[in-house]
Amino acid sequence: MEAVLRVENICKSFVAGTPVLQDVSLEVKPGQVHALVGENGAGKSTLMNIIGGIHQADTGSIYFNGQPVVFSNPLQAMQSGISIVHQELSLAPNMSVAQNIFVGHEPVRGGGFIKWKDLHANARLLFDRIGIEIDPTALASKLSVSMQQLVEIAKALSFDAKVLIMDEPTSALSDKEIDRLYAIMRDLTARGVAIIFISHKLTEVFAISDQISVLRDGRMAGTVDAKGASHSQIIQMMVGRHIEDLYPPKSSAIDENVIFAVEDFSKPPHFKNISFKLRRGEILGFAGLVGSGRTEVARAIFGADKKDTGKIMVEGKEIKVRSPQDAIKHGIGYLTEDRKVLGLFLNMSVRENIVAAGLNRFLNKLGLIRHRRIKRETKHFVNFMEIRATSAEVAVINLSGGNQQKALLAKWLCAKPRVLIVDEPTRGVDVGAKAKLHSDLRNMVEEGIGIIVISSELPEILGLSDRVAVFREGQITAILAGNTTQEEIMKYATV
Amino acid sequence: MPQSEIQNIDSSPNEAFAAVPDSKSNSMEQGITMRAKGLKLPSISVESMQIVALIAIITILAISMQINNDRFLSAANLKVMTVNFIPEAIMALGMTIVMISGGIDISIAGVLLICGIVVGMLMNAGLPVPIAIVLTLCLAGFIGFINITMANLFKVHPFLSSLSLLLLLRGLSLVITGGATVSGFPDSFKFLGQETIFGIPTQIVLFAVLAITIGYLLKNHRFLQQAYFIGGNRRSARMSGIKVERFLIFAFVLNGILAGIAGIVTASKFGAASVSFGQNAELRVIAAVALGGASFTGGTGTILGTALGIFFLALIYNAFAMTGVNTYWQDVAIGAMLMIAVFLGEYLKKRQIAR
Repeated sequence: MEAVLRVENICKSFVAGTPVLQDVSLEVKPGQVHALVGENGAGKSTLMNIIGGIHQADTGSIYFNGQPVVFSNPLQAMQSGISIVHQELSLAPNMSVAQNIFVGHEPVRGGGFIKWKDLHANARLLFDRIGIEIDPTALASKLSVSMQQLVEIAKALSFDAKVLIMDEPTSALSDKEIDRLYAIMRDLTARGVAIIFISHKLTEVFAISDQISVLRDGRMAGTVDAKGASHSQIIQMMVGRHIEDLYPPKSSAIDENVIFAVEDFSKPPHFKNISFKLRRGEILGFAGLVGSGRTEVARAIFGADKKDTGKIMVEGKEIKVRSPQDAIKHGIGYLTEDRKVLGLFLNMSVRENIVAAGLNRFLNKLGLIRHRRIKRETKHFVNFMEIRATSAEVAVINLSGGNQQKALLAKWLCAKPRVLIVDEPTRGVDVGAKAKLHSDLRNMVEEGIGIIVISSELPEILGLSDRVAVFREGQITAILAGNTTQEEIMKYATV
Repeated sequence: MPQSEIQNIDSSPNEAFAAVPDSKSNSMEQGITMRAKGLKLPSISVESMQIVALIAIITILAISMQINNDRFLSAANLKVMTVNFIPEAIMALGMTIVMISGGIDISIAGVLLICGIVVGMLMNAGLPVPIAIVLTLCLAGFIGFINITMANLFKVHPFLSSLSLLLLLRGLSLVITGGATVSGFPDSFKFLGQETIFGIPTQIVLFAVLAITIGYLLKNHRFLQQAYFIGGNRRSARMSGIKVERFLIFAFVLNGILAGIAGIVTASKFGAASVSFGQNAELRVIAAVALGGASFTGGTGTILGTALGIFFLALIYNAFAMTGVNTYWQDVAIGAMLMIAVFLGEYLKKRQIAR
């Protein structure tokens, strides 16, 4: 079968001397799902941005339908039939769904006036084509995240795409929604569209892909048929070494001291009668379906949201938490699920981010900041967490997702909390960084704190937790031992 | 078998399309269909709620003023009220587009001032009126171009580039006039600010034509629609192929030209150009646009809202003048009103997200 897209010997560097892509070649066949995997920073996004016309390669060539092409902007690529569904949702909130889909190529009559009826009809046709039903006149801001994701796909298809690039399309979707996405992807490939599918989740990659290409440190580590390949083979190609254990051994150092307890937390309809205890040196997992109230409880503990009733005890003493400042003062840390919006100061340096929550520790008697000590300690954290950045002075926005997450964890490590709540700590993080984050969490509890892990990935809950609290519809339905099974958890998580 | 049904639908797109609005059964069978929950609710946007609130307040204010003084809604008073705010109203049109696309331009009062002076000096130098006007508008557009080019080139916020221009233009006006008023314009220049068309002051007609044209284009024209995308999400606008910088240049040049028109109208109205023109006009304009529902982060705003915002300001100033309450209070009232509008807008937005 002739390849619809052929990329040959692409090289790209943004800063002279530090290549992001070196001699990368890739062939994508029509009607196939071609997965592209690799650790964060391996160059996947750069490669996709070059194919999609957002960046231009330094050397190398791209052939589309056998013809050499050069795209100097995304519009050219889209018009030729290559569209990207970006990882971050990018709809203009106050525009209608139809306007968002056809932005830049709206049906117009002479003089550039938009033909509204055609616009809405065209949007409906597109929705029919992918089998979803959304009102084209609805404002984009009114749609749920998964709906917005589907609108993004419709937007990409509005150019009659022959090659569709999907960058982590499942990261915000529930299992059911992912199944729907798969159905749409299969339908598209049945019509001959080629899909390049970027994902961190190997299970998904194996579930949907025909071919798998692996990027490592800006080089193509190889392309294999999904059928004959195994998980461990792909992981090995990604990291260049064999990862023995994704999870560290469980704790040996739990003592019976309850370091943190929550009693009768209620805030109907979000959660009610939540009580649990956390012991020193323990990792407590919060399992449950999306929307079961785990994050809401965490936010209430941290003082980010108000609760109606309930008590928080730290080391046996009741404390009042009305704001995140109160929580931090009493040694409670919260690593948020949405690191970009809530957790990090993206335009500030790694150093400033790391000390953001623990600045109190770096003040002298007059309340002035001790800069030299900050420099010394942040350097230690950057090394300890293996944050890949040219220096601690680099703005966090320039780091890859996994390294951003490490910086966020370092921030709380630096604040020396007694209790740390981590919400989806490894979302959007690659396998290598995942293992590192897991062992960091374990090392932190070994030093005598307590950690609560909220995760939607059951293997992560099982691999990390010493005990598991299962949430369902705003209540804790069971607290299970760490050696429980996925089936047992699901039994309590669902009705 | 979802596959076969999809192909089935594909082969008869019109039928599927016709089935969408009322029949759920067809699409439900596909198994991969979902309904957008909550979309069936009559959804009034925060913007339109703000506009309704603004209309209500204007109505209440006008009626209570009318009860107080039956000359308030007389044609003569309405004319005075409106004409006083025409320069701000014209500038607010450009500011609306600038603010929708996520920018701000506080240099407009400086542009108004310098253009009033320049048009006067050009006419006094013997240039025909139309040529003086065109040259002045070129200058106004050029100032807008300098403004956005500074912001684009040095990656500074347009607030900063326009602040520097505001100060610079105010200073320049003093330098070139020596602080003196420029006057003695030809009679034909009066048509803009002192004469009428079919009994309506020319400047009101001018504003109405500009507002309707820009309002219609902003709603229906592909090019101007880009403002909402750029303000809503600049990065993704760029990814969608919108030439962001080019649009911003357009918006700021247009904004400059409109401020230039405001300056020429002002000079025509007074038959003179004085360095005191346009004092704090930029703040009144921004207040009106914000009252009309445009957000400072971009992505929202309408010409209708802006026009209502300006009308509200005009009403307040006029009401104070007529009731004889100490006019020092008028800015207090407007400030308080803006505060309420901002809080109301934020409150409505939060409630909508919560739902």
